[in-house]
Amino acid sequence: MKVPESLKFLVSTVSWTLRAGCVAHLVHEYVYEFTETRGESMLPTLQSHHDYVHALKKYRLGRNLDIGDCIVAIKPSDPDHRVCKRITGMPGDAILIDPSSSSELTNTPAEILQHDGFNKYIVIPEGHVWCTGDNLCHSLDSRSYSVLPMGLITGKIVAANSMDKGIFGGGLWNFRWIQNTFFDEKEEAESIS
Amino acid sequence: MSIPSGIKTTLLTLTWFPVLYSFSSHVFSPYQISGFSMTPTFNPGTETTTKDIVLVRKYNLKKPESLKRGDVILFRSPSDPEKVLTKRVVGLQGDTVKPKHPPYPKDETRVPRNHLWVEGDNSFHSVDSNNFGSISQGLVVGKVVTVIWPLSRFGTDVSKGGRDARKGYGDIPVKSIGDI
Repeated sequence: MKVPESLKFLVSTVSWTLRAGCVAHLVHEYVYEFTETRGESMLPTLQSHHDYVHALKKYRLGRNLDIGDCIVAIKPSDPDHRVCKRITGMPGDAILIDPSSSSELTNTPAEILQHDGFNKYIVIPEGHVWCTGDNLCHSLDSRSYSVLPMGLITGKIVAANSMDKGIFGGGLWNFRWIQNTFFDEKEEAESIS
Repeated sequence: MSIPSGIKTTLLTLTWFPVLYSFSSHVFSPYQISGFSMTPTFNPGTETTTKDIVLVRKYNLKKPESLKRGDVILFRSPSDPEKVLTKRVVGLQGDTVKPKHPPYPKDETRVPRNHLWVEGDNSFHSVDSNNFGSISQGLVVGKVVTVIWPLSRFGTDVSKGGRDARKGYGDIPVKSIGDI
């Protein structure tokens, strides 16, 4: 039986699309991803709208990450969502969970008593990190869902673009590198003295 | 310029590798089980001492309703992300479970939203939720469908085993938690 040309063409198109799609998927998962972020939790580093981030996937599973790095991770309480946070504690560090929730400035005496559980230190277990948003008062992070397993980390954010300012609004689409903002106060003090 | 047909065939074959890899990471894939934490379900060591190879399903895992008590799952270890562990789901989100105490610091705990309580069938040989607590469902890598190697154990039913750790159920004798 002779296969019609049109069917051959269709099969070859579908097969090449499948192969190209799988390559794109693997690049997305293991090399690099450019994706939109939303939400106020990372202000002022990232805008709440129109911001896109460049994520490198070689840092997935927490490989070679350090305190102060910005990461993309699967939300522990909802695997369908991803979060973008900054690492503020590494395995073995002692972390004060949330001092502001029992501050006299912003809470009633009853709330202080109720939140006292947050005014405690925990030691981060092996294979986990502590992560918080840069905008602490508008961020759902480790302060509520506790330590984040490194297995949920999918990449590290290295740069960002804003799409609402036009091509030349501060560089190409406001391109900027996302820096590790952490510095060691102790080292700093030693180098000054 | 003409390309030798041998090279062309090789290149064309290579283009299928990403498809194969995507299939094994998102649809089905075989895994070898090592260790004795899931004995006697896996690696019983009675007839042969070869390590079991199992078929693992990779899709439909992240929704809370996609896993049941009694399912055997593969997940990334919370304490070492490079390691993949195999355990049985014993508690689902919202369940109140009675952990083994010690090692677990409390004698009663509630499984948080989108988390699972997992235990090895061989409780004396298992590092599981009794050590590291509930795991996020985002860590789940796959669900074991059946044993495919050794051939003498091909198609073994893996749904039987484990204990019922839920509070208020533990005293009732049950054949397996898969029956509930």
